Amino acid sequence: MVHEVHKNDLTQALAADVAVLDFNATWCNPCKMLAPVLESASQDLEGKALFYGIDVDENLALAQQFGISSIPALVVLKKGQPVARQVGFMPKPTLMQWLNGVL
Amino acid sequence: MERVDIAIIGSGPAGVSAAITARLRGKSLLLFGSKELSEKIGKAHTIQNYPGLPAVSGEDLRAAFQNHLDTMGIQVTEARVNAVYAMGDYFAVQTANETYEATAVILATGVVQGKPLPGEEEFLGRGVSYCATCDAPLYRGKAVAVIGSSPAAEPEAAYMAEVAGSVLYLPLYDGAPDLPATVQVLREKPTAVTGEVTVTTLHTDGGEYPVDGVFLLRDAMAPTQLVPGLEGKGGHVAVNARMETNLPGCFACGDAVGLPYQYVKAAGEGNVAALSAVEYLAARKRNTKE
Ligand SMILES: Cc1cc2nc3c(=O)[nH]c(=O)nc-3n(C[C@H](O)[C@H](O)[C@H](O)COP(=O)(O)OP(=O)(O)OC[C@H]3O[C@@H](n4cnc5c(N)ncnc54)[C@H](O)[C@@H]3O)c2cc1C
Repeated sequence: MVHEVHKNDLTQALAADVAVLDFNATWCNPCKMLAPVLESASQDLEGKALFYGIDVDENLALAQQFGISSIPALVVLKKGQPVARQVGFMPKPTLMQWLNGVL
Repeated sequence: MERVDIAIIGSGPAGVSAAITARLRGKSLLLFGSKELSEKIGKAHTIQNYPGLPAVSGEDLRAAFQNHLDTMGIQVTEARVNAVYAMGDYFAVQTANETYEATAVILATGVVQGKPLPGEEEFLGRGVSYCATCDAPLYRGKAVAVIGSSPAAEPEAAYMAEVAGSVLYLPLYDGAPDLPATVQVLREKPTAVTGEVTVTTLHTDGGEYPVDGVFLLRDAMAPTQLVPGLEGKGGHVAVNARMETNLPGCFACGDAVGLPYQYVKAAGEGNVAALSAVEYLAARKRNTKE
């Protein structure tokens, strides 16, 4: 499943071995389309990576900290360090290929 | 909204031909495009090489296409498609006002003239964006440039002005843009986008402007931008002889898939794409029954 981040609190994700951050917003259509794809990817990768949804309106400080200028944006963290990012919608096979290459 | 079998994007010879064949095979469909079907049909003076119609004028060929659609009860949905998302078991087809659903998609969008701006691809997602309504809130208080290829971009620039610190608007067309006074209109030709980690400067034939973001709002999007995840090849959509793209259920035809740019080739490929889509739908049906 995709966990929702609130109040800019990323403690859990930073502590995880591998975390996938999804920066999104309610007014962003491609973000809405990506959500079910990510949900399904998170199930496929259960035990390998934790997934976090970050609404940029609610968590503007995090969006700024990660230099997000287009959404949807995915950032992969390994032990709290960003190792890869992607911007825009991806179909499931493309997303899985990218994630499997990074993880 | 009800899901259709096939969404066809583009109403030129390729899209019209695909729609005719899909309808003959009894498929439900949506044909996205314009009332004049394709600028490239109406504009042609005389066409010498369309079988059965020697020396037909572009306007007459257009009328013949329209007549064919009418007799088959196919209506053109007059809307520009902004994005097509491959959701797995269906495609979400998005226009400015609505999202449609289709099991298969045929791209018949023609060719897009014009090369990307130097720096555009490099800084995409790092200051370069194609969607003001998506990304505007990330530029709160910042300096942005909006490049509009037609007046259709003006509402997005106006929206940008409500959020950003300052907005430069560069119209790539004639006529006075209808924009709030807070937007500074710049009659210069953009030449490049540069920056470091993110965009810092927009270059034009008249000077350099420090900006945090550059929004490129074009009427015609390349199919690979239109459909995230779609594979291109040398500026065209990559397809095989069955007009299949790399995305299952997504087909492409006509000028969009490559040279030569010809009416008959486009129409022929539209026919192949429709038949491949019909087969794809049948195979899916078999699989879900099992
Ligand atoms: C002046 C001129 C003369 C020509 N003469 C000849 C000739 O004599 N013989 C010959 O064989 N060929 C000729 N051609 C080439 C011919 O016009 C093209 O090869 C043909 O039109 C290609 O058809 P198509 O369906 O692939 O694309 P197009 O005809 O370009 O149609 C694409 C359609 O898709 C629409 N579209 C694109 N994107 C979207 C979107 N996102 N949402 C909704 N709609 C969209 C466009 O508005 C357009 O209506 C000529 C071209 C020109 C310009």
